[in-house]
Amino acid sequence: MGSLEFEGRGVPFKSGDTVASALYRDGLRTFSRSLKYHRRRGLYCGTGDCPNCLMTVDGLPAMRTCTTRCDEGMRVERAGGWPNADLDLLHVTDSLHRVMPVGFYYKTFIKPRFAWSVAERVIRRATGLGRLPPTTAAAREIVRHEHVDVVVIGAGIAGLEAARDAAAGGSVLVCDEGRIGHAVAPGPTLDRLQALEAEVRALDAVTVLETHTALGVYEGLHVPLAGDGDLVHVHPSRVIVATGATEAHAVFPGNDLPGVMLGRAAAALAGVHGVRPGRRAVVAVRTEEGLQHLQTVLDSGVEVIATAVSGAMADRLPDAGLGEVVVDGEVHEARGGSSLRSVVLRRDGRAKRFDCDLLVLSLGLSPRDGLARMALPGEAVTVVGDAAAEPPAEACGHDGIVCLCEDVSTHDLEQAWDEGFRNSEILKRYTTTTMGPCQGAMCGRALSCFAVSRGDVGHRADAPQAPRTTARPPTRPVTLESLAAGVHEIVDKRTSLHELHVAAGAKLDRSGGWLRPFNYGDWREEYLAVRERVSLMDVGTLGKFTLGGADADASELIDRLFPCRVADLAPGRTRYVLSLDEAGYVMDDGLLVRVGEHEWYLTSTSGGAGRTDARLRNFIDRFDLDVHVLDRTAQWGAINVAGPYSRDLLERLTDDPIDAEAMPFPGFTDATVAGVACRVIRTGFVGELAFELHHPRSRGPELWQALVEAGREWHLVPHGLDALELLRLEKGHVYLGQDTMPDDTPAKLDMSWAVDMSKPWFVGKMALERMATLGLARRHVGLELTGGPADTAELRGEPLLVGGDVVGRVTSAEHSIALGRAIGLGWIRSVDDGFPEELVTGSGAVATVVPTPFYDPGGGRMRG
Amino acid sequence: MAELRPTSSPVVVVVLASSEACDRIVAPEGAIAMRIAPREMLLVGSADAGAEVLRGALDEPSAIVDDVTDGWAMFQLTGDDAREAFARVCELELPDGGWVQGEVARAGAKVIVEPGGLTILVPAMLGAHVEERIRADAAELLAP
Repeated sequence: MGSLEFEGRGVPFKSGDTVASALYRDGLRTFSRSLKYHRRRGLYCGTGDCPNCLMTVDGLPAMRTCTTRCDEGMRVERAGGWPNADLDLLHVTDSLHRVMPVGFYYKTFIKPRFAWSVAERVIRRATGLGRLPPTTAAAREIVRHEHVDVVVIGAGIAGLEAARDAAAGGSVLVCDEGRIGHAVAPGPTLDRLQALEAEVRALDAVTVLETHTALGVYEGLHVPLAGDGDLVHVHPSRVIVATGATEAHAVFPGNDLPGVMLGRAAAALAGVHGVRPGRRAVVAVRTEEGLQHLQTVLDSGVEVIATAVSGAMADRLPDAGLGEVVVDGEVHEARGGSSLRSVVLRRDGRAKRFDCDLLVLSLGLSPRDGLARMALPGEAVTVVGDAAAEPPAEACGHDGIVCLCEDVSTHDLEQAWDEGFRNSEILKRYTTTTMGPCQGAMCGRALSCFAVSRGDVGHRADAPQAPRTTARPPTRPVTLESLAAGVHEIVDKRTSLHELHVAAGAKLDRSGGWLRPFNYGDWREEYLAVRERVSLMDVGTLGKFTLGGADADASELIDRLFPCRVADLAPGRTRYVLSLDEAGYVMDDGLLVRVGEHEWYLTSTSGGAGRTDARLRNFIDRFDLDVHVLDRTAQWGAINVAGPYSRDLLERLTDDPIDAEAMPFPGFTDATVAGVACRVIRTGFVGELAFELHHPRSRGPELWQALVEAGREWHLVPHGLDALELLRLEKGHVYLGQDTMPDDTPAKLDMSWAVDMSKPWFVGKMALERMATLGLARRHVGLELTGGPADTAELRGEPLLVGGDVVGRVTSAEHSIALGRAIGLGWIRSVDDGFPEELVTGSGAVATVVPTPFYDPGGGRMRG
Repeated sequence: MAELRPTSSPVVVVVLASSEACDRIVAPEGAIAMRIAPREMLLVGSADAGAEVLRGALDEPSAIVDDVTDGWAMFQLTGDDAREAFARVCELELPDGGWVQGEVARAGAKVIVEPGGLTILVPAMLGAHVEERIRADAAELLAP
């Protein structure tokens, strides 16, 4: 015994109880309110297939209480209804069908235009299956992968038999969303199930996984199983679907009244949980298992006052206690208010009413075949047991609720049909039938039968069954936690200097897929260190590639791949390169280093390394060149030593010549610095004398520390991306991605100097030639900004206007420390066949087009 | 339980050479040869199987042979629950021996399977990420 809390009061439960059985024993009959019309809904299927018992359990909405086991102190509440599910004044919508017909959101609240925004808010508040807990962080779910020969989905009799048989051929995983047999009433079925379970569990090749729900069958094959706290990705060679069948959902007036119940629900209450499902019952039986359910209901002490039975089964009914037996009778109508009060049975056109509080329906089985229908043709997915059974020939029914989840009635389907939606797939989309939590388990077949009975345009006359709508995952409600399980959306790359940055108090953030220092506390001081003294920056994030190979192939690749002059680049020299795609658009940039006659070293942007690697390999194949590419991005780190004293600092740590004569700008040398073998490259991104030290990653920390130690004489402080933002802006250097757009060409960026159009061919040349005949419609410019906000950076992203028309945008803006004024970069469009010189930003600052670089335009400091 | 340990003991050598030359390469004693592309091999093993040895054995001047150990973060995952811990972060089906490649916690990885456990190689800049993910996702399986 235990107790759960239901809407503020204690409800006792017994061992083995589900939440639904405990609440039913306690007298609850209205389990939920329907989504649209707020109709009362009672316990119905008892197998987790219908939406009627969905409640919020311990803060989690839409939990299937008929399959959720009770736990001590569990908090349970119904989601729908105002002020509560019992009174629910919103039930008035049930009499407003004319205002909210099927597809009403396409037809009503259209005019005036604000009507929908108001209506939407009201409707959203009045409907739904509960609220997600807004303040509770999702628990992290464990993910694991299982590789087996066969996965069997469903551990009923057919599933366990299939698992046993498959075990002879390899490994088998058999799963079930519940516990084996726990919802089956005592009897021959449970006996058989328990015997099979023992047999299967004894097999070494079989793994049994209970309380794990198969969400779908994906290409691969791949079957994700959601458990309580974990998600198991099963990768099988073969899938056996043994998910059984639901009891058929019958459609007639009053079919959704509390008290109308499928046979399995009644039998589980009576036989498993010891709860009498009603006092006076009418029972309708057309299946074998229905006979067992009838007996179970009788044994629980329910007074059966009438039994409707098919003629074929009439002679197999129990001997006594059946009330009036109506052979070949049908349930014509259920009547009641807040719950069932009477049932009308009809035979041969004659109807008779029976007063009762329970109607038990076992009218046929509807295969639970959604998972099987997800498989692609030819995939190794087989279906066994009731899931493979032919459904009974059935009529759609009349004047009742077809879709319990979405409150769609036969009248709604008829209206949609009359509006021209004459196919089960489009009826589904228009009416949302089968699109609720049950995913068509209850209503899918009724929808198809309706469409066929009216002449579904997609139905072949010779097809054995009514066409079902497309089955898609997930088949069962699944938490967002499960969907997110194992998804490591953020993958941070770290340089070998990461721990040193952390120890130095760096503010780290993401840039180009890496965790990088943005500043070490005072970015202005870092900026000044670069401009006036010496500073370090961790640039190990740059893409780094060695290219070599047979003869001149590597040189030919470089020449054909990049738009700059290559032939005149001597070994030991470097050159800035743009990467263009075939359309002539700038994809990336970097430095090209000629190491030897046929050996090259290339750097790319930090975020562009992967793309560069793929591009190099792609063009090697396309050009059929014998070139090898070695991506050293992970293997080598890089430190930029920048500032007027950077050479002095390095000369303290190396015996190799790095003076201006031995190593002019732009050039490189291999040198040993602080005992670490480095490739030393002269660079100019920050506009000062600077050396990039490319080095083995494992030696990075000692090299950095040696530089810091030796740099104390010049009050060295390292700089991060915040300082770099201004340093490069003062030089007018663009940040690809921030300052550029995907269709920027070198000409638009005012970087035609990086392109040698006299070369016979390079990637993108033909496109550039064509575009050169068109003239420039947009170009990137330097801006001087006056009269703007106190924080110049706020101008970034603002539109640039001429005469009130937007003709451009500010892409970078900072207050220049070196120049003492606000500067920026941006793009502008051509206006009246010319580019404007004076513009206004969105906030009113004046933007004057000026040439770049802003700082040291002659480049003397950089070349020093 | 399982145990996860960073290791730096294997040497990783890359060989970029013609496919014919790659075909001729025989992994030295104690090394595993991974043919990761028609003209690209990784050899993972002891220092005796290092780059110099291979370069000497490879009669192809244009080939690139280099010790790239620095480019890899390596972990050994051992113990009875090693495979289960691995399955928390990777969907690869592990063979009984040899090596496989694929994604481990979204990092491109090579995985060597030996009787004593697994050796996982990922690009060095993702080593911390992968180690953190394994320790978080397989926490209850790992020895502290």
